[in-house]
Amino acid sequence: MQIVEIEALGESALQSIAAASSSKELEQVRIAVLGKKGSLTQVLRGMGSVRQEERASLGALVNTTRVRLEEALERRASELKASELEASIKSEAVDVTLPGRSHPLGSEHLISRLTREICEVFRGIGYRVVEGPEVETEYYNFTALNAPADHPSRSLQDTFYVLDRTGVQSKILDESEVLLRPQTSTAQVRVMEEEDPPIYILAPGRVYRRDTADPSHLPQFTQIEGLVVDRGINFAQLKGTLEYFCKEIFGEDRKTRFRPHFFPFTEPSAEVDVSCGICAGEGCRFCGGTGWLEILGCGIVDPNVFGYVGIDSEEYTGFAFGMGVERIACLKYDVPDLRMLLEGDMRFLRQF
Amino acid sequence: MKVSLKWLQSMVEVPARLDDFVEKLDLTGTAVESVSKTGVSLEGIFVGHILKKEKHPDADTLWVTTVDVGNNNLGADASPEALQIVCGAQNFQAGNKVAVALVGTVLPDGNKIKKTKLRGVESRGMNCSARELGLGDDHEGIMILPADAPIGMPFAEYYRAGDTILDLEITPNRPDCMSMLGIAREVAAVYGSSYQLGRRVPSPPVEGKASDMVHVKIDDIERCARYTARIIKGVTVGPSPEWLAERITAAGARPINNIVDATNYIMFETGQPLHAFDLDTLAKDTKGRVLIGVRAAKEGEKFTTLDEVERTLSSDTTVIVDGNAAGKTGVPIALAGVMGGLDSEVTETTINVLLESASFNSGHTSRTSRSLKLFSESSARFERGVDDATCDDFSARAAALIAELGGGTACEGVVDCYPAPRILPILTLRFDRMRDVLGANISNEEALELLVRLGCVMEPLSAEACRIIPPSFRPDLEREVDLYEEVLRLWGMDRVVPQLPGGEGRIGSRTREQVLAEKMGFALRALGLNETMTYAFASEKDMELLGMQPPEGAEPVKLINPLNAEQSELRLTILPGLLRSVAYNQKHGVSDVQLYEVGAVFLTGEGRKQPLERPQVAGVLCGSWNKQAWNREAQALDFFDAKGVIEQLARELCVADLRFVALSGNEAPWLTDGQAALVKSGSTTLGWLGTIHPRVAEAFEANSPIIAFELEIKLLLRACAEARPFEPVSVFPAVELDLALVVDADLPAEQLLKVARSAGGKLLSEVRIFDVFADEAKLGAHKKSLALAFCYRSADRTLTSEEVDKLHSKVIRKLEAATGGVIRS
Repeated sequence: MQIVEIEALGESALQSIAAASSSKELEQVRIAVLGKKGSLTQVLRGMGSVRQEERASLGALVNTTRVRLEEALERRASELKASELEASIKSEAVDVTLPGRSHPLGSEHLISRLTREICEVFRGIGYRVVEGPEVETEYYNFTALNAPADHPSRSLQDTFYVLDRTGVQSKILDESEVLLRPQTSTAQVRVMEEEDPPIYILAPGRVYRRDTADPSHLPQFTQIEGLVVDRGINFAQLKGTLEYFCKEIFGEDRKTRFRPHFFPFTEPSAEVDVSCGICAGEGCRFCGGTGWLEILGCGIVDPNVFGYVGIDSEEYTGFAFGMGVERIACLKYDVPDLRMLLEGDMRFLRQF
Repeated sequence: MKVSLKWLQSMVEVPARLDDFVEKLDLTGTAVESVSKTGVSLEGIFVGHILKKEKHPDADTLWVTTVDVGNNNLGADASPEALQIVCGAQNFQAGNKVAVALVGTVLPDGNKIKKTKLRGVESRGMNCSARELGLGDDHEGIMILPADAPIGMPFAEYYRAGDTILDLEITPNRPDCMSMLGIAREVAAVYGSSYQLGRRVPSPPVEGKASDMVHVKIDDIERCARYTARIIKGVTVGPSPEWLAERITAAGARPINNIVDATNYIMFETGQPLHAFDLDTLAKDTKGRVLIGVRAAKEGEKFTTLDEVERTLSSDTTVIVDGNAAGKTGVPIALAGVMGGLDSEVTETTINVLLESASFNSGHTSRTSRSLKLFSESSARFERGVDDATCDDFSARAAALIAELGGGTACEGVVDCYPAPRILPILTLRFDRMRDVLGANISNEEALELLVRLGCVMEPLSAEACRIIPPSFRPDLEREVDLYEEVLRLWGMDRVVPQLPGGEGRIGSRTREQVLAEKMGFALRALGLNETMTYAFASEKDMELLGMQPPEGAEPVKLINPLNAEQSELRLTILPGLLRSVAYNQKHGVSDVQLYEVGAVFLTGEGRKQPLERPQVAGVLCGSWNKQAWNREAQALDFFDAKGVIEQLARELCVADLRFVALSGNEAPWLTDGQAALVKSGSTTLGWLGTIHPRVAEAFEANSPIIAFELEIKLLLRACAEARPFEPVSVFPAVELDLALVVDADLPAEQLLKVARSAGGKLLSEVRIFDVFADEAKLGAHKKSLALAFCYRSADRTLTSEEVDKLHSKVIRKLEAATGGVIRS
């Protein structure tokens, strides 16, 4: 083989490399030139038949040609790789506005979520969460909460009673001594019986009242009761606590007002209103023109209640408060019909 | 309670701005539930004079009247012209003054007066009844005005209509506020002003002695603290004057006659319920005396109340009787504090009246009302308590009013049975203690001034304390704290500066159960389930529809007074509520339903007072997780989706040794045979999982398939470990091998995995089933092929191929031996 031929082979190979339009084509070029049976490899293999004096110079030429070709191959390979990558990226572009793919996440029930959020607010100021039974005795629900013996809320009209399987029947009408609690205040007495002050607790739970279900009533709903018993507890602290709560749940700009009221188990007692979020207190249809929305009842624990659980009312004072979670849900989300909360309609549940 | 502002203004000064007044009442504890105005739409109504009354030519019951309305109707010559009005009423004469609505007027009931023809006779206006004017229920005929009513005067002006009625919420502790007097007293205390009883009633002429005509005996002073009787003779029963009818209407009652209205008026005014008996219907002894008794009703005793209903009484009810002579029990003439009797009621022919003013026990009155479902203005007051100290004062006022209106004479004196006047409590007010409990800086002087305004009598004790005697009309002021409340509400809750408690005993911690329960909720939602709530009530039929038995020895809690048959018990399982929710969704076109509920089920039994309340978690799945999307199939949910939920939940909660054991159709009839399992942790059964039997789904009107589960939360949480033990992550390479095994179709896959794991030992880091199929042609009858993927890896070295081959062969041998399976090549 002559120098000229080798140079021509090199030139032609370089051209093929430059002309290769894909990694695959380039590989074919490499095999054709540098592969086992490649043209340049053949030249190297044929060196044995080259004359001695030409071998060195011819060998050096073949080697430099091979190096040049290898360099060219590598350069071209990375060029092709880059352009091929670019092409493939281009071809794989998607419409980013098409919806994603995921396993749908479930939602928390509005009432549970609010209950959890409210509990969280009070946990933040040092309250524990406790629960009591939903089927309660008349003692814990009424008597120990200082409700008078003939209080109308005790009637069969207002409170659900259940069969007492000890066989004891109440003396009053057809009532029994066992009932579905109409308030979570029952938890107060149980906690005070079991624990010594200081007590800072919150008691959420289901309660029952004998109201036929309609857009604004449910026979089963949710309440949260709070109770504090400690030395030096006063009405100003009750006010501060509930103002803090209202701002946390309804927003920093909401105001609260306390109206004197009556509950058998607190004295003094108050109802708490929060300023209407729709009219900011100006008065609108949502708040019935008053600018205020009633959200909870509260008061200083009545000494008679302490009497039932054996807490010294001179040494300790306390406050208690109770709120309806469904009511707060309605105020926050304007739910038009409370029955939606118990229907299990996916279209409703998945909004929260 | 309904309060007429006009009436109230006659007793106490009321601020000119209504909004301010309403807010003040709200902030001092008398909530204003509503404010309504009466008589505002009486425009277009004038006093008319009936000039002529002629028979309608074509209708027997209609009259053609000619009515002069003064300048309100002018003729063509611009001079007043009388109107021709066709009228259907029968209670009027020519010459009467009446209220006439002109054409174009809209009456309070929304009716618009039009020019019309009635049976061919033109009618240009209407002579109105009290009801049409919104002034009462009377619709027997048109309203006849006094003869001196000026013709043509706007009716609103003549009638002085246009009152504001406040509907006040009176809390149960304030019996004193159940009257105009009480509200006036409260308003005066709030503003620091004065009040008076209002309209003066002249002293009646006196004739005879009451004690000669009536005698009273109370059997049980617990039932009746005081009973007074007065006699008014020679009255004429008739309609009440307008002022009285107006006030009674404003208070929410219906005018009846002057005698009954007078007793109602004094009740609304003073809060003292009164009852007028027709004296001549009552039994008398030989000396002509009525012997009144107050006693317990006899069990089963019958009595007809004045609403003409015969009532059967129980001994808890107190009755008033006549003929209460020695050795006799007398005959009931009234249900104490609730309602009088039909036979002794005041009628048009009544001449002599016995007036009762008493203080009956609140408990007996309230229970009687409740058990007889008989609620009256009187019982509403006795339920809260009526001040026995003033029974007679108000009775005297009522007697004078009856005599004034009915034109009779009162007998001298009163028969007053008052065995044990109530002793007023003497309270001590400690000023510092009051400030400590209220957290408000209220001075001693301010506190005392407010209490005195409320009618308390004070006697100074020392610089630190004061003796307070509350007025008789405030039985709610029994203890020192009751005084704090009075001071606070009048001083102003809004003036108390808010603080936060500073106690050290505050720890906002969670219990282990609360942490885990919260985690459970998060996990279920992350797995795609939506939380719901259903009723804790159940129908008697629910368990039957499911084919489910209560746990051994347990029975459902039965309600004594359920709202309806579907809610007559408490639930033993959450499942029916969820199935109903599935049906609700399907009916509303939502076919993909994934719900869970956390709540109690209730189990009772012989000898239990309160039931066992067991918190459970239940879930239902039907349809698919998602709708068909451009990049995702809508895969139908099946048993393994629900099982996957439980497996992942158990993983999140670190439940030890979770197992599923097949349940037969006999054991769980609500589930489909072959798609049902017990969920266990070790040997503890946590609950069940399975496909709801199509028969059950249908019974709850839901479409199959529905997969459901229900677990006991306490057991689930008890099975939770604090955390899984740490396992080092191997840095050495793994060897992965696959294998297909043909086994009997009913061989549980779990068994295969168990054998493989035990044979593979520590070096088998994972084995998983990646394919299951059955093909009779390829595998033979009753066979299935399970494809397993094995991953061998050591924690401390690279495994050699010889080592892995040897171990894998052992695993295969063991699998074949244990299951009778054959390797598929």
